[in-house]
Amino acid sequence: MDEKTGEKKYTTISIPTHLAEKIKKRIQGTGFTSLSSYVTYVLREVLSGADTESTEEFSKEDEERVKARLRSLGYLD
Amino acid sequence: MKLREDTNYIVSGLERSGTSMMMQVLAAGGIPIAYTESRKPDEHNPKGYYELEGGKIINRLMQGTFPFESYKGTFIKITAYGLSYLPPGTYKIIYMERNLDEVLDSMEKMAWVTDEDREETKQSFKKLNEKIKKELRTKEHTDVLFMNYNDVLKDPRTNVQKVCEFIGPFQYDTTKMIAVVDSQLYRQRR
Repeated sequence: MDEKTGEKKYTTISIPTHLAEKIKKRIQGTGFTSLSSYVTYVLREVLSGADTESTEEFSKEDEERVKARLRSLGYLD
Repeated sequence: MKLREDTNYIVSGLERSGTSMMMQVLAAGGIPIAYTESRKPDEHNPKGYYELEGGKIINRLMQGTFPFESYKGTFIKITAYGLSYLPPGTYKIIYMERNLDEVLDSMEKMAWVTDEDREETKQSFKKLNEKIKKELRTKEHTDVLFMNYNDVLKDPRTNVQKVCEFIGPFQYDTTKMIAVVDSQLYRQRR
């Protein structure tokens, strides 16, 4: 609960136990410190990436164009 | 207070997408950052670039000679193209995004160019951005927070809170972090 606004900051969501166990194994040794932080991250990614993904590959020509611009900005020799 | 010393912390994104601003926000909050002043503040970044190696860190990454061990527990700035050259490790990355036309306007102004092939350049940077984001989502031992520059300017308080939640327990000075965000420096608006 946010003390200033009285607004609830978190909602409880249920997931199957076996899925939770898989996630706990996956996050061992990573920077994620809890099941909740990992699930929150994944859901944010799904929501932010859904409308913006392109299927076009980053070609050699694209790369040379990018590198030329980075040189002009002083980010590459 | 320190950040995790087994983790490399990075601020990234395309050039001119608010990476320097985010480094300033972190510094204001008391969060450890590393930078040199090889590139001085100028009209394009009046508050400074907050980068290492005069901005040429990507060359060191491509050569595999950048000393990541020395920067564990500290935020450094590596722009998007450089992230393709990250060695295996544990990372926490704040990835900045901005309206791509604003990014290109700012790049052209900084480089003193008028791009005759602007649309091709835009598509190349768009593909680079998406490639890097895709790689970050699947990279092992990597935690990523995607931040939108335009949103940060509109609502610094909420976005500073997101940054603090992402980084984890620390004694932040959030008042100073929020104060860093200066909408007067939001130029090249679209």
